[in-house]
Amino acid sequence: MLGKGEAAGQAHLHKDDDGGEQPSGVVKLISAEGFEFVVDKKAAMVSNTLRNMLTSPGGFSETREGEVRFPEISTPILEKICQYFYWSLHYSSGKETSEFQIEPEITLELMMAANYLDT
Amino acid sequence: MSGGGPPRKRNFKIDVFKHRVELDPKYAERTWKVLEHAIHEIYNHNASGLSFEELYRSAYNMVLHKYGEKLYDGLESTMTWRLKEISRSIEAAQGGLFLEELNTKWMEHNKALQMIRDILMYMDRTYVPQSRRTPVHELGLNLWRDHIIHSAMIHSRLLDTLLDLIHRERMGEMINRGLMRSITKMLMDLGAAVYQDDFETPFLEVSASFYSGESQEFIECCDCGDYLKKSERRLNEEMERVSHYLDAATEAKITSVVEKEMIANHMHRLVHMENSGLVNMLIDDKYDDLARMYNLFRRVSDGLSSIRDVMTSYLRETGKQLVTDPERLKDPVEFVQRLLNEKDKHDKIINVAFGNDKTFQNALNSSFEYFINLNTRSPEFISLYVDDKLRKGLKGAAEEDVEVILDKVMMLFRYLQEKDVFEKYYKQHLAKRLLSGKTVSDDAERSMIVKLKTECGYQFTSKLEGMFTDMKTSQDTMIDFYAKKSEELGDGPTLDVHILTTGSWPTQPCPPCNLPHEILTICDKFRSYYLGTHNGRRLTWQTNMGTADIKATFGKSQKHELNVSTYQMCVLMLFNSTDGLTYKDIEQYTEIPALDLKRCLQSLACVKGKNVLRKEPMSKDISEDDTFYFNDKFTSKLVKVKIGTVVAQKESEPEKQETRQRVEEDRKPQIEAAIVRIMKSRRVLDHNSIVAEVTKQLQARFLPNPVVIKKRIESLIEREFLERDKADRKLYRYLA
Repeated sequence: MLGKGEAAGQAHLHKDDDGGEQPSGVVKLISAEGFEFVVDKKAAMVSNTLRNMLTSPGGFSETREGEVRFPEISTPILEKICQYFYWSLHYSSGKETSEFQIEPEITLELMMAANYLDT
Repeated sequence: MSGGGPPRKRNFKIDVFKHRVELDPKYAERTWKVLEHAIHEIYNHNASGLSFEELYRSAYNMVLHKYGEKLYDGLESTMTWRLKEISRSIEAAQGGLFLEELNTKWMEHNKALQMIRDILMYMDRTYVPQSRRTPVHELGLNLWRDHIIHSAMIHSRLLDTLLDLIHRERMGEMINRGLMRSITKMLMDLGAAVYQDDFETPFLEVSASFYSGESQEFIECCDCGDYLKKSERRLNEEMERVSHYLDAATEAKITSVVEKEMIANHMHRLVHMENSGLVNMLIDDKYDDLARMYNLFRRVSDGLSSIRDVMTSYLRETGKQLVTDPERLKDPVEFVQRLLNEKDKHDKIINVAFGNDKTFQNALNSSFEYFINLNTRSPEFISLYVDDKLRKGLKGAAEEDVEVILDKVMMLFRYLQEKDVFEKYYKQHLAKRLLSGKTVSDDAERSMIVKLKTECGYQFTSKLEGMFTDMKTSQDTMIDFYAKKSEELGDGPTLDVHILTTGSWPTQPCPPCNLPHEILTICDKFRSYYLGTHNGRRLTWQTNMGTADIKATFGKSQKHELNVSTYQMCVLMLFNSTDGLTYKDIEQYTEIPALDLKRCLQSLACVKGKNVLRKEPMSKDISEDDTFYFNDKFTSKLVKVKIGTVVAQKESEPEKQETRQRVEEDRKPQIEAAIVRIMKSRRVLDHNSIVAEVTKQLQARFLPNPVVIKKRIESLIEREFLERDKADRKLYRYLA
C-alpha cells in the first residue's frame, strides 16, 4: 500500500525529456545510470547536502547548470529518494501523517544514500 | 531517512559495498589532492569549474574510510598557507587602502570559508564531533584571527587606524562609516574577546583621555549652559557612533566614559558656576538648560541629588528673604501673591524641565514648609489673602478661576505648621466679611470651607459653618420681625440684626456704647420680640461690629447717603443737636473705647473726600485736645459716600499678641485632651514618649511646644488624671 506522498511525488517525476530550458524553481537530479529526475528546489532542499550545494556562494557547476549527478546512486534509489522529498515536505511539519513505505530489499542502500545526502 | 522494513539483506549489501570501493593505498593521497586543488581554486575565485557533488563525495569517502584526520589537517595547513599569503598582501597596502584591503580580503575569506565548509560538511558532521576538533567555520575564523589580526604587522596598525579615524570623526571630518562598520563587524565575528581586547578597551581608554582634555578646555571658557549643550552633543554623537558602526554593547560603556569625564568630574563646578549655574537658570526660567542639566545629571550617580540640594538651599534662602523682608510684610496680599508666584514658577520648572520628578516636588514642598513657618505671621497673611480675594479680588472671575486660586491657597495652607492660628484669623476675617455683607460669592466661601474641611476634618470647620447658619437664621428672623411688628414701628430707622451664637464667632465682650435714642427704641423692640420667641436666651449688642446708612444734608442743601460703622453713626448723630464737640465730649457721650474712637474720628475727619467732620487743629492724627465740627462745605460727586469702614487689615502689634495669647489658650485643652487620650490607651508611659505622641497627634493643627506639654501634664497630675510612678519618677500612670 502506498501513501499519499508517493502519489504526489510521481506527478512531478519526468524522464529524460526536458531539454535545456528549466524553470528556476526546479533542479535536475541524475542517477548513476543517467536517469534524470526534475524536482522542485523546495523539495530537493529536504536534503541538507543538496541545500548546501544549491545555496553555496561562488557558483559551483551544479548551481550554474541546475543539475546534479550522483554517480553512486542507482535509479530506483534516487526515485525513492525523490518520493521521500515530497513526502517529507508534505507531512513532516503537518499534523497528519502517513507512513512512508520502503521495500525491504532497498533498505540498506537507501540508508547509505540518506547518510550521504544528510536527509 | 525514516521508515523501513526488516533488514534482511544486510550482510549481502555490505559485501557489495566492500567490493565496490577498493582500498588503494594511494587513494587517500589522490583524493586529498583533488580537494586541495579545489580549496586553492576557491581562494582564486575559480570555483565555477568545480563540481560540488564530486568534492562532497570525495570528502565523504575520505571520512568514511577513516582519513578524516588527514583531511582535517590538510585543510588546516592549506588554509594557513593561504592566509599567510593574504596577510602579506594586506601588509603591503598603503595608507588609507589598508582598511579597504583588509575588508576585501575578509569578505573573500568569509565566502571561501563558507564554500569549503559546505563541501566538507560531512566531515563537520561526523569526524569533527567524534574527535572533538574545531568545526570548519570556527577554525577558519580562528586562523584569520591568529594569522591576520594578530600578526605583528597588522595588529597595532589596525588599532591605530581605527582610533585615528574615530578621532578625526570627532574633530568633524567625514569618514567612511560603512568600512568602519565592516571592520568592527569582523572583530565581533571573530568573537567578543577579540572585539573587546583588540578594539573596545583601547578605544575606551583613548576616549576617556580625549574627553578629559576636552571637558577641561570647555569648562574654562564656556558658561554652564553652553558646556551642557556641548556635553549633550558629544553624548549624542557617541551614541550615534555606536549605532552606526560599533557593537550595541559598547554604548553603555562609551556613554559612561563621557558621563564620567564630562559630567561627573565637573558636576560641582557646573552647578555652582557663577552667573550661569543652576541658581541663575532657576532665576531666569531657562527651561531648556535646566532640562538638559537634569537629563545629563541623572545619568551619573549623585547627579540629581546635587541639583536637588542646590535647588533646595536656593529656595530656602530666597524664601527666607521673602518672608522675613520687613518691606514685604507691609502688604499681606502682595506677600502671599509672591509666595504663590514663587511656587508657580518652580512648579513649572519641575514640570517642564525636571519631568515632574517626585523627589524634586518633595524638595520644593519641604523648602516651602521650611520658610513659610519662619514667619509667624504667615497664617494671618494667608487668611488676609483669602479675605482680599473673597471680598473683591474674585469679582467677575469665573467659577473655575476661583477654584484655582482657592486650591493654591490651600496648598500654602498645607505648609503651615500652625493651622489653628490660621483658623483663628480666618474666623475673624470671615466674620467681618459676613457681617459687613462684603462676600462676593457665597459659593466661593462655601467651597473654601469644604476644602478646609477635607484637609483638617469636621472639627476644624464646625464653627465656621455655624457662622453661615447664623447668617441664614438671622435673615429669617428679621423677615419675621418686620412682618409681625411693622405697624408698631412706624417710620423709625430700619434695623437689621445678626444674631450670632456665642462661641461660633470671634466676638470679644465689649462694653456697648451709648446708642442714639432713635436706635435704642427699635433695639429694645427687637429685644422683646426675640426674647418673646426664644426663651432663656441672652442678647448683647456688639456695637463694635455693625454698620449704618444715614442721610445727611450739607451746607448747600446737597444730600448724601453715608455708609458708616455703628460707632461712626453714634458720633455723627451727636452733631444733629450741635455744631462743635471736643474729643472729650464725644468720648463722654458715646462711651466708645478710646482706641476705636480715635480710629473712627480719623476716618470721619482726616480722609480727603470723605471728611464730613472738620477738625481743629488740622492734622493727620487725633489727639485728645481736638475739637470737631460738622463740615458744611463737604462735597462729593457721589450720592452715596462710603466712609472708611473697618476693613480686615494686618493686625497691630498688641492685637497680634492678643490673638497669639488666645491661640495659646485654645491649645491647652487640645493638648490635655491628647494627653488623656494617649494615657487612657497606654496606661503607663514615660515623659518623652508622651511628648512625641502628643506632637504626632496634633501636628495636623499645630506644633505643640514641649514646655507647654510638660505644664499640661503637671496640671493633669494636679487634677488627678495622672500620677507619677512611685518607683520611677519619669513614668506617668493614668488614673481612671
